[in-house]
Amino acid sequence: MIANILDGIVLGLQFGLLAVGLTLVYGLGGVLNLAHGQMAVAAAMVVALAQAAGLPIWLAAGLGLLAGGLMGLILDLTILRPVYRLRGEARVLLSLLLTLGVSFTVEGFLNWRYALGALSLRIGGGAVEILGVPMRRGSLAASAITLATFAALFLFFRYTSLGRAVRSVIEDQEGARLVGIYPHRMLRLILVLSGVLAALVAITRAMVTPIDVHSGLSITTFALIVTVVGGLGNVAGALLAGLILGIVNAVAADLIGTYISLIILLGAAALTILTRPAGLLGVRE
Amino acid sequence: MALLELDQVHKHFGGLAAVNGVNVRADDGEILAIVGPNGAGKSTLLKLIVGLETPTRGAIRFAGQEITQAPPHRVRQMGIAMVQQTPRHFASMTALENVALGALFGRAGAHRQEEQALELAGEALSFVGLADRRHDLVGHLNLHEQRFLELARAIAGGPRLLALDEVMAGLNDTELEASIAIIRAIRDQFNMTIIWVEHVMKAVMSLAERVVVLDFGTILTEGLPAEVMRHPAVVKAYLGQEMNHA
Repeated sequence: MIANILDGIVLGLQFGLLAVGLTLVYGLGGVLNLAHGQMAVAAAMVVALAQAAGLPIWLAAGLGLLAGGLMGLILDLTILRPVYRLRGEARVLLSLLLTLGVSFTVEGFLNWRYALGALSLRIGGGAVEILGVPMRRGSLAASAITLATFAALFLFFRYTSLGRAVRSVIEDQEGARLVGIYPHRMLRLILVLSGVLAALVAITRAMVTPIDVHSGLSITTFALIVTVVGGLGNVAGALLAGLILGIVNAVAADLIGTYISLIILLGAAALTILTRPAGLLGVRE
Repeated sequence: MALLELDQVHKHFGGLAAVNGVNVRADDGEILAIVGPNGAGKSTLLKLIVGLETPTRGAIRFAGQEITQAPPHRVRQMGIAMVQQTPRHFASMTALENVALGALFGRAGAHRQEEQALELAGEALSFVGLADRRHDLVGHLNLHEQRFLELARAIAGGPRLLALDEVMAGLNDTELEASIAIIRAIRDQFNMTIIWVEHVMKAVMSLAERVVVLDFGTILTEGLPAEVMRHPAVVKAYLGQEMNHA
């Protein structure tokens, strides 16, 4: 059981980081990006190709992060432009449809060009014992990077004026505009950050398990579930929900089965919407 | 030369003319009150000035520049700040952090650093008497203090014009006097032009230098406060009862 919980924490941290990008983009701009998983996978393929071309891992990973950020920027500059002209439900629905189209396009392209492509990053050395459970160094490194990223995000949003500007737009867009903040500039910044975070999760996940060209749908699904449970627009909620659902997923997958665990996660998301529509840490309006 | 000019400004919502061919000018350092019954178009007029609404027809000029179609963040950066009746603070932040946002983003080309913005925010909070509440979350401030916080956030960006929307509503006599004193001090110290929509006639009579009366989206009359309040059309249309109660 302890091993399952530790595995769940490793997975949950990554779920949480995935959801941060999704939740911030929604909180800022009312855009639900269903291509989030495919952006992560595409960035992973950039890393795999760069490695195959002989680049050192740090440089390959850097290119992957850059690719993730670039994809966020391209989304903002192209497919999302008509979305920005709409308000309310129409905006959410159009963003769902268009980013779903992007997800199919990216996955189709990757499947066509790199059908057998996958990213797997092996970190050498023996297992490290944690609470009597041998943990692979890859899992520990992935968790450490993810935790460090969460800490950096916390510091950014809490202590920098740019971070506070992003929070102000999430809290009250009209109020932020009256202060002199341009909400769209903040959304663009967060779309780029969201792409970088998706790439980072893909790279760290590849330290634990291979990421192939078909992983996008499951990544988006997990990110969406964690986002709903954590509360749309809530970073701390994403971390908490990621950890809880990561542990639930790991325990359920071991005791019952992988497919059942996904159904349990979807059930948790549905139950959250029914009982706490604003999410675990959300404040009901 | 007028700092702000509204030239034949119209705003229609569907078939309703909320603002109907209004001409208004405000001079440098003037305190101009806009009064009128509910639904007269006063708040809509302020929203048109700060860019929250776009005129259906007409032109708005500020410091000689056309701002008719400018979005709110651009209008703010050009030098027009607004304080609304319902405080629009950011609840997850402290008073100082709220005001620092105004100092940092509220002025184009200022290129302020974080430290400088925090320093300006501290000065603005001291000006409105909230220096000792700077590290409190804004949710811990009462309505009166929250309005002063918004005034601090507005002046921290160094605007030339302050648009106030019923900021005296719901205040007791002591708070009202304090608010009048602060607004007068803002004008005197920073030579800021103030355009102020208000229902509390006691405050208008005490503070305004000129009054514009709106009714059904058009200007009924304008002039010195005492003259306007005696105008028969104003007394008949709206002010008689309130003046008697003020």
